[in-house]
Amino acid sequence: MIWAVLLPFIMAMFIPFVDKWRERIHTGFFVTIIPILIFIYFARFLGTGFEPLTRSYSWIPSLDINMVFHLDGLSLLFVLLISGIGALVAFYSIYYLDKSEQLGHFYVYFLLFMGSMLGVVLSDNVFVLYSFWEFTSLSSFLLIGFWNFKKESRYGALKSMLITVFGGLSLLGALVFMTVLTDTTSIQEMISQKQLILNSEYFPLILALLLLGAFTKSAQFPFHIWLPDAMEAPTPVSAYLHSATMVKAGIYLVARYSPMLSSSDWFFIIVSSVGIVTLCWGSYMAVRQVDLKGILAFSTISQLGMIMAMLGFGTKVAVFAAVFHILNHATFKGSLFMVAGIVDHETGTRDIRKLGGLMTYLPITATLAIFGTFSMAGVPLPFLNGFYSKELFFDASLHLEDIANAGFIGVLKTALPYLAVFGSIFTFVYSMYFFFGTFRGKANLSELPKKPHEAPVGMLVSPIILVLGVILIGLFPGMVNEPFIAHAASAVKGLAVSKEVYFWHGFLYPPLIMSITVLVFGTVLYLSRKQWAPVYRAIPGVLSMNKVYDGLVDRLETYSSRVTKAYMNGSIGRYVRLVLAAILIVTFAFMALTGGFTVDLSNVAPLSLPEIFVAITMVIAAVSTILTNNRITAILILGVVGYGLSMLFVLFRAPDLALTQLIVETVTVALFLLVFYHLPKLRKKEEAASTRFLNLVISIGFGAMMTMVAISAHSSKFFESISSYFLENSYKLGGGDNVVNVILVDFRGLDTLFEIVVLGIAAMAIYGLIKLPGKKEDQ
Amino acid sequence: MEILMAILAGILFTTGIYNLLQKQLLRIIIGTGLISHGAHLFILTMGELKRGAPPILTEGVETYTDPLPQALILTSIVISFGVTSLLLVLAYRAAQVNGTDNMEQMRGNDYE
Amino acid sequence: MSNLIALPIILPLIFGILVAFIPKKRKLSRTLSQVFTIIQLLVVGYVFLHVLQNGPLILETGGWAAPYGIIIVGDLLAITLVLTTNIIAAAAIFYAPQSLSKQQEEFYFYSFFFLLIAGVSGAFMTGDLFNLFVFFEVLLMASYGLIVLGNGKVQLRESIKYVLINLFSSMLFVTTIAFLYSVVGTVNMAQIAVRVQEVEQQGILTTIGIMFFFVFATKAAVFPLYYWLPRPYISPNPVVSALFGALLTKVGIYSILRTFTLMFNQDVQLTHTLFIYLAAFTMLFGVIGAMSTNNIKLVVAYNIIPAVGFMLMGIGIFTETSISGTIYYLVHDMIIKAALFLLVGIIAYVAGTSDLRKMGGLIHHYPVLGWFFFVASLVLAGIPPFSGFIGKLLLLQGGLAQDEIMIVIVALLSSLLILFSMIRIFIRGFWGEKTENPHPERKPAASKMVWPAGVLLAMSITLGIGAEWFYPTISNISEYIMDPQIYIDSVLKE
Repeated sequence: MIWAVLLPFIMAMFIPFVDKWRERIHTGFFVTIIPILIFIYFARFLGTGFEPLTRSYSWIPSLDINMVFHLDGLSLLFVLLISGIGALVAFYSIYYLDKSEQLGHFYVYFLLFMGSMLGVVLSDNVFVLYSFWEFTSLSSFLLIGFWNFKKESRYGALKSMLITVFGGLSLLGALVFMTVLTDTTSIQEMISQKQLILNSEYFPLILALLLLGAFTKSAQFPFHIWLPDAMEAPTPVSAYLHSATMVKAGIYLVARYSPMLSSSDWFFIIVSSVGIVTLCWGSYMAVRQVDLKGILAFSTISQLGMIMAMLGFGTKVAVFAAVFHILNHATFKGSLFMVAGIVDHETGTRDIRKLGGLMTYLPITATLAIFGTFSMAGVPLPFLNGFYSKELFFDASLHLEDIANAGFIGVLKTALPYLAVFGSIFTFVYSMYFFFGTFRGKANLSELPKKPHEAPVGMLVSPIILVLGVILIGLFPGMVNEPFIAHAASAVKGLAVSKEVYFWHGFLYPPLIMSITVLVFGTVLYLSRKQWAPVYRAIPGVLSMNKVYDGLVDRLETYSSRVTKAYMNGSIGRYVRLVLAAILIVTFAFMALTGGFTVDLSNVAPLSLPEIFVAITMVIAAVSTILTNNRITAILILGVVGYGLSMLFVLFRAPDLALTQLIVETVTVALFLLVFYHLPKLRKKEEAASTRFLNLVISIGFGAMMTMVAISAHSSKFFESISSYFLENSYKLGGGDNVVNVILVDFRGLDTLFEIVVLGIAAMAIYGLIKLPGKKEDQ
Repeated sequence: MEILMAILAGILFTTGIYNLLQKQLLRIIIGTGLISHGAHLFILTMGELKRGAPPILTEGVETYTDPLPQALILTSIVISFGVTSLLLVLAYRAAQVNGTDNMEQMRGNDYE
Repeated sequence: MSNLIALPIILPLIFGILVAFIPKKRKLSRTLSQVFTIIQLLVVGYVFLHVLQNGPLILETGGWAAPYGIIIVGDLLAITLVLTTNIIAAAAIFYAPQSLSKQQEEFYFYSFFFLLIAGVSGAFMTGDLFNLFVFFEVLLMASYGLIVLGNGKVQLRESIKYVLINLFSSMLFVTTIAFLYSVVGTVNMAQIAVRVQEVEQQGILTTIGIMFFFVFATKAAVFPLYYWLPRPYISPNPVVSALFGALLTKVGIYSILRTFTLMFNQDVQLTHTLFIYLAAFTMLFGVIGAMSTNNIKLVVAYNIIPAVGFMLMGIGIFTETSISGTIYYLVHDMIIKAALFLLVGIIAYVAGTSDLRKMGGLIHHYPVLGWFFFVASLVLAGIPPFSGFIGKLLLLQGGLAQDEIMIVIVALLSSLLILFSMIRIFIRGFWGEKTENPHPERKPAASKMVWPAGVLLAMSITLGIGAEWFYPTISNISEYIMDPQIYIDSVLKE
């Protein structure tokens, strides 16, 4: 099974080579073979006697990340969709994409996506699933940005990436949480230990994170906004990723985790209400679009909402209908996207305001569109698969008896059937709008960039196959029911689900009445749409999530810029102040919290006059460096402090130090004088009083902190120093009387070696500084 | 005595930091000089002060001052010397090339 | 056999001195440096394998036993980081000739380069606190030499800020060592560890510990001490930026990791809680910085900061899982940061500007560069299956296992924003209409420079996909450093 997943990735590596022959043979032909092979491989498993199977391949066993592929009914449904639609789309793209396009890139992304999507639906290991999940987002990003010379393409690509990766990371959070709670990385094992998760105090957070992942990917309200902009991708991509497969990954995830989550009331409330709102909002917005693909994008959003809502219901009928609709939606929506692509390709525009009357010019395409749109609208005809799942949806919305009526749930349950009908009425309206707006009415050829004619046969093959699927499933629902849908539904529900699907249940069958309502109201609304169109001017203005997104992304940059520029202003004074203040506050806090400040006067040397005298001199000198405005004075005073220090070294019996300090101080002062001969004079300090005060507080605070820590450290001498060893062994082992020298050259010779290295480097750096000419411009 | 020295070193840090927070390069570098003096004094104080003879082994002397801090200070003095020299020359060059020794005028922007 | 462990420090020292004698012979010093770096890499590789198989190598320098002499401790953690350092060095040295000017090469670039490596390796391996200070000074002094190299106007200005901050933190460092010496009477890290455990009143030790933390945090660029970092890091030549970005902050993080697992591990409740909060702010302010600018070099420089936050997060959580995460992240971040700095260096070079607003459509002229950058962005953001993901996953697992929800959410959010800050460059700089190549004459050099970055990138990918080859080692290291007794016993030989 691993080969099936890896095959697209392997093929992707060969694309650059086969792309070299593109003049003779379109790269798409090579690509089409891959999904066909995968489809054939998995189609073998179809049948009533299907049993789930698992294959494991080790990858990172020490982190429990392994390629574990679990094929159950749900995965099988998705795998067949991915490979089946994939093959049709790849074939369609051969005629859609000209040889002058960057075919190599396109097909590499395409295959990356296909492989990743197969990985998502087959992985049982959560982290492998997550890896593939992010890769679908990335390949989608690259495909949307395929025509990146267009500004809209770049905008759409970034938007889809930000939203889906945001969801991906949120999903990662949920997955890590669940692995930590259950100590397993296998989805199946997690589900078998679901109590650990359901009873955890973090369950609401886990649920929220998981659903965020699913909702963003499946374009649920209010995260749906990336999908319409993703339509900038070439149409085959829209048909494949942004309708049939990738956007269903969120659905897949919810379905996959349903056995675990559906017992939670929160799951019901969130998933069904988000789903139903998405259904209504998507279909409502679709009517407003003027771009054919825009209509289809919102239609996809709305249909995904419907599936999501059914998964939220979680009843047997609902789950069955959800799974059934995944298949149906892929067939009719896939064909409609291809129709939109053909219209675009043959007329040069997708603007429905310019289109119309194309029935005469593209009769086959128009016929395909009839089936697609009417199936999507759920028109009660026995050869349209969309009607069956729509009717099951109505049925499911009416039968939620199993769910307790507590609080909000009761209200929601009452509202659901009405909302379902509301959303479906608009579904009907946009379906009619799509078909009649494009193919009926008066043709206005002068508006079209190209003279329209029927598409080449190759381009029609794929949509024809899909429409045949629509009709066949409609006529013989039992054909896919038992061997296929029932297995998938059982996997979602965690127990055997089967459902006989009929066309006719009698006149008083409530779902039928709902369907008829949709038909009647839909027709009325479609015909009168000019009258009520002004509604759109009011409502989306308030609810536009796009504004929120644009605002967020813009602000992300402007606010970051404002925040950062506010403190990162290049002023070293500012930096030092901030650094010191931070150290100061935290260290004092720690000293207070831990009782770190101690004074112990029992072990101190007595005070004596010479030291006090030197100390006072040093203090006066140090303070005068601040006060003086004469640079020579300042440097000389610094020298006084240095010489004072060497005096102290003498007094404290450190002769070597005293000597060294004396020499170093002298050289330093000379160097100071030399360098500052060339620099401007000291000026009066012109800072504001507040800055001066702040500086004073920080410097005194820091000095006090150092003193306090020093006193405490000195008062806490808990151990005897290792120095006694040096004193004892300096002569014996080191061969020298001067212990300090022996330490330097022998005991700690490494320090001294590298101390010399430091000086050497300094010398080289100084040489470069002096020798190299200064440049006004950097390289 | 250790307390006094700790206070003295603290004052050296204080004055050093105050200078460090100024705008003019010369003051800033003087500040670093004061801070390193303070640091060295702290190190010395952390060994016990005046508890014996200088650590040069002599017949008949039993107690010596702690030699280890002295060795550490020696290393540190030399290193500080290297860094200070570099800093001085760097300051000179930077002031010359940028035409100012005021650090507030050397803030710069992102695109240089 | 234990003398072997001195080689990673001594070899670059010798090489650095050798090439200092032939500064004007550019071709020769270039070739020699490349040969030396490869030799060094092979030797370190051998030492690494030796340590991997036979356990830590301990060298008592000058023959003085611990705790009196300076001890070089080549344990697996140290030698892993030294190996990573040398890998980066090898990539940098092959990138350098195209990137450096004649003057930069003649004014001791190669010496500074080797001495920087010597300092970094020494800092990773020393077992003595004061000696750590000395190695810090070596690497800092070499970095001063590198940062001023060329005497550009901006460069000099930014160098001063860099030197000043580091000078101050060095002074604080050496003073803090003295404070600690006063309390425990030793500067040997293993002995400090022993003695710290025996002290009942931890107050003063915790305070000193937190001062050490600040010293290292300044170098590591932890919130709120990172202000100095971004601009000085981008002012020198890209190859220098790469070395800085890859090595210097990591030495800081390594020091925090070492000191707070080995020595200051008594008051974990207090210190490590602080770390977690600081880690959160470090990540947030870092990514905010990365999103704030259109200067592509600055974007990468700011991205150093959130990575530091991730590593600090692991230290704060303080479990074996999270520490493995930190170490994994450390190795990953060293490699990818070097790669990214090298890549943006090339981008700025071929575009003739580092202002993103003036770029566009570069992918049409430099497809390899573009895709390398794209993948590097993914690696940086921790997209699986690349190396960033493994470290991040361990950190998240460690965090959630300890109920540290806040930091986990911040970490996830910053991953998204890191990706945003990087992908902006890809979208605006590489995508777009095909325009004329601004500097066609720079293409040959650019295509030579891209391969060292490519090698680093390949390593990053291997580190992710081939995690099974590395993780057990990292996990061993984590287990080892969470049990300081092993370190103590191997150094003090009791």
